[in-house]
Amino acid sequence: MKEAFDVAIVGAGPAGISAACILADAGVRTIVFERGEYPGSKNMSGGVLYGHDLAQVLPDYVERKCPIERNIIESRIWYLSKESGYNIGYRDGIFGTTRKHNAFTITRAKFDRWYAEQAHKKGALIVPSTVVVDLLRDEKGRVVGVSTGREQGEVQAKVTLLADGINSPLATRTGFRAEPKPEFVALAVKEILELPSATIEQRFGVSGEEGVTIEILGEITGGMDGVAAIYTNRNSLSLSIGANLADFAASKIKPYELIEAFKQHPMVVPLISGAHPREYIAHWLAEGGYDAMPAVYGNGYLIAGDSAMLFNALHREGNNLAMASGKMAAESIIEALKRGDYSRKGLARYAERLADSYVIKDMKKYRRFGRFLYQNKELFNELPRASSLAAREMLTVNGVSKKEKQKLIVKEFRKQVPLRRLLRLLWHGWRAIR
Amino acid sequence: MPKNSKGRDVSEIIPDKCIGCQLCVAECPVGAIEMQGGVAKVDPEVCIGCGKCFDVCPVEAVIFEKPRKKKLTGIGQKPRPLDEYQGVAVFIEVRASKGAEVSWELLGKARELAGKLSTQVFGFLLGSGAEPLAKEAVTYGCDIVYMVDNPLLQTYLSRVYGKAMVNLCEQVKPEILLLGATPQGRDLASVIATQLETGLTADCTGLDIDAQERLLLMTRPTFGGNIMATIVCRSHRPQMSTVRPGVMKMPKRDPQHQGEIRNLDFEAPKEALPRVIDFVPIAPEVGEDIGRAPVLVVAGKGACDAGAMPMLEKLAELMGGAIGCSRPVVQAGLLPYTRQVGQTGRTVSPKIYIGVAVSGAVQHLVGMQGSEKIIAINTDRHAPLVQIADYALIGDYREIVPKLIKGLEARIQTFKSKENSK
Amino acid sequence: MHIVCCIKQVPDTAQVKIDPETNTLVRSGVESISNPYDLVATEAGVQLVEQYGGKVTVISMGPPQTESALRECLSLGATEAILLSDRAFAGADTLATSYTLARAISKISAADPVDLVICGRQAIDGDTGQTGPGTATRLGYNQFVYVSKIIEVDVENRTITVRRQVEGGSETIEGKLPALLTVELELTTPRYATLPEFVRALRQDMKVWGANQIEAPAERLGLKGSPTWVKEIFVPKPQRSGVIFDGTGSSEQVVDNFLAAFLGKEAELLGELFDKGKG
Repeated sequence: MKEAFDVAIVGAGPAGISAACILADAGVRTIVFERGEYPGSKNMSGGVLYGHDLAQVLPDYVERKCPIERNIIESRIWYLSKESGYNIGYRDGIFGTTRKHNAFTITRAKFDRWYAEQAHKKGALIVPSTVVVDLLRDEKGRVVGVSTGREQGEVQAKVTLLADGINSPLATRTGFRAEPKPEFVALAVKEILELPSATIEQRFGVSGEEGVTIEILGEITGGMDGVAAIYTNRNSLSLSIGANLADFAASKIKPYELIEAFKQHPMVVPLISGAHPREYIAHWLAEGGYDAMPAVYGNGYLIAGDSAMLFNALHREGNNLAMASGKMAAESIIEALKRGDYSRKGLARYAERLADSYVIKDMKKYRRFGRFLYQNKELFNELPRASSLAAREMLTVNGVSKKEKQKLIVKEFRKQVPLRRLLRLLWHGWRAIR
Repeated sequence: MPKNSKGRDVSEIIPDKCIGCQLCVAECPVGAIEMQGGVAKVDPEVCIGCGKCFDVCPVEAVIFEKPRKKKLTGIGQKPRPLDEYQGVAVFIEVRASKGAEVSWELLGKARELAGKLSTQVFGFLLGSGAEPLAKEAVTYGCDIVYMVDNPLLQTYLSRVYGKAMVNLCEQVKPEILLLGATPQGRDLASVIATQLETGLTADCTGLDIDAQERLLLMTRPTFGGNIMATIVCRSHRPQMSTVRPGVMKMPKRDPQHQGEIRNLDFEAPKEALPRVIDFVPIAPEVGEDIGRAPVLVVAGKGACDAGAMPMLEKLAELMGGAIGCSRPVVQAGLLPYTRQVGQTGRTVSPKIYIGVAVSGAVQHLVGMQGSEKIIAINTDRHAPLVQIADYALIGDYREIVPKLIKGLEARIQTFKSKENSK
Repeated sequence: MHIVCCIKQVPDTAQVKIDPETNTLVRSGVESISNPYDLVATEAGVQLVEQYGGKVTVISMGPPQTESALRECLSLGATEAILLSDRAFAGADTLATSYTLARAISKISAADPVDLVICGRQAIDGDTGQTGPGTATRLGYNQFVYVSKIIEVDVENRTITVRRQVEGGSETIEGKLPALLTVELELTTPRYATLPEFVRALRQDMKVWGANQIEAPAERLGLKGSPTWVKEIFVPKPQRSGVIFDGTGSSEQVVDNFLAAFLGKEAELLGELFDKGKG
């Protein structure tokens, strides 16, 4: 294509669009390519977005009618065994007042579309239904644009931003990032179940625009290293469950079997009863952590978002890391364009910015967490069973003295998780999040 | 009647009755209606109590009690007193100098409808040298055949046929006009309905009469869901409907039936008409027309297996019938499209329909629900086809069908030897 | 030549599928697509103007999101797009729709005479091919439906020759312009737009016309202009009392039981069949 741009962005997800908004605001000629028919059609996330990082890009996102499903005022954690489980929640009114929109639920199809529309309004050109198949290079091997699957589909750009997600076939093809190993990736499936808003409000004890999130661990992932979640939307629930890809391969459990069993857990059933499945989608999650990250910049290009493996599994943060990295990439690009230096050196500020920010700081802090979960399967088998047993016995009033009970519980517990094992677990767990 | 805080009478929507068509949302002049949880909801504080939502709701889900008559707005046709229109007319389609079977099927149905209305059945026949066909139409139940016989009507041209039919409708004033949903019928029906500014409901699967209101009740599946809709055309005439071949039962010919044949003049359109340069017939299809088979063995999605076809064909042959299929089998390339039964394929009504691993999606059901006896072979007892079948065999067809064939062969043998020993 | 193509946005039925393993309905969030027949119609129009010169205008009656379907057609090479969108158009049956389209085409023709209108044969969301012929009738154009091939256009003598599908075969037919065609899928394959064309389509201004712009009185439009309306919606109840033979144990037994019952009960029916010569 004859027309050239300052920046070409691959992927119209949160990372790519955040960059596009910042760039367009600065008057940079930006084109964004999206392989889906519309931004968001190929995306999936559990469904929680953090207002802080969105506000860094669009401070007036509420006035711009961001499609917010529910504002989260309560977060719960469930630790489940087969037929029972623990439930711990924290509700705080402040999340409805001064810290409103700290976290809120979204649906990707609506949100991504709206977000891309904001970039479009600022002047970025969003091109859907178009796949970027390769990068253009000059004789020195520097990236000078992209090549798409359409005829006359080569577009010159001074800087290219790769923001094409966890699968990023482009990163693999160009060698910027190795194809992630199965143990660094999780496979997640999600169902959106329709439920009238009044029912949701009743079942979760909220009103109006308020919502609840439930993060779930335990035996629910069939013994595999994984997590599940239930989030409340306006008039639907997002149910997601996923596990480490290597574990899936070993266990031969099918993803849809996992979610079907999930929906039948006694603690889940009352929440979803009567709901109609509306949508079903599967996706990968980047779980490699800090050590699986590729180099995020080079001659003429930058990498942001999931494509750079920016994902914090423990705190379910992905969208915000994508947005923050997209913004930082844009800022670095603007500087580079001013100086006319799009070489590796010229774009190095991006990596510095990332390292100085919470993005890399958090990634580093939790770099061992993914491995910890993966290597300690007791967390998903014996430990939930033992804990459930403990609670069950302690809560049963059957004439047995509490001391006796205690002895019994400890004995059973030790059977499942020997003391040595438990101590090691705690030690590793502590190290993993330190 | 609910009131809002200002004391005004406001409307209210019954969520259970609301079908989510959103007509009320569009109609409300003050935007008081919003969709919530898939159904419409009135904001009483915004509502001004005009009742437009009540007027527009097709399923009477709106509670509104201001004394109002339902407005019937005219749309271009000068409202004639409706009782000027009498009679049930059927368009007789001519194909290779013969009457199309769908036309006779429609005459059968017309007889039933006319009976409920205590009125007559008319045939509208256009053609050249079509008198023998007019006589045949009488034997299929026409009380009067209105015939327009003219060389210009030898080949179908939209303008020419359209003009002739519009003239007929204006002269004869039938209250109902039925056409077969063939390529010609569809085109022609639309031309007539547009020129007469009347309502046309296409691809109806059921026709009935509301004798009290003297209305034609036209039933057809709504797209995508397991839902049927009944449609009416209240204040425009004729009420028009197209019906697919094979949906209505072929009536018995009655050579003794008395009927009149009236010839009408035809005034050719003045403008230059298109001319047909040639006609290329398609090769007669290999294999029989599944619409005529008395027994149909239909392969479904669960039998999408090239290896299964010979077995199913054998079963069909044994029972003196043909093999058909549902859409996935055609998509898999195992059988040609001419064998497809369903909304986008053929509509069939055999004496015996045997669905082998057919789940029974609504688009398939509408194409075969007129079958006299339905037998379903399926592993899933909750499959829709099993629910409506007369006989259902639950199990793997790969085991059942061979045993069925054996069992039938054995009984045929016994029957034959009994016959021989008589 | 000035060609107008009428298009429609429809629910994407291909996306509404049944998960084969769980037997649940699966929708992946894509709601609407351009009706495939209409893409073929637009492609046919573009090919004609590439051959004979001129321009293609695409129009569609629908809600605001129809814009994406119009842009898809622009990317095939159409010159201009007009969206007919107005609350007054809502709830239209085929009579009101053909009226609206005809008014729009008349207005377009007043500014730049229209030679040919091309529509898809039908919409995949259950439409039955009535809108094309209805629109042609109102405009007084010659109409040719189920066209599988456009053979020739004689711009000077203002005639068009096409092949159309009829019962039992196909006809070659020639008629005067202006004309309206409804086309079959096999007529041509819509192109995959080049990037420059695709980007041009994205940036193109879209005209939006409401009831005022096409000078249409309210009583001819939308629900008011539709003589038919839905009286009732219901779920068809199974009417047959079915007998179930459970074969999950032994299929031998099941078949025997079935045959015994069937041949017993349906003797009369089978008698008829036997008479027909099965023997």
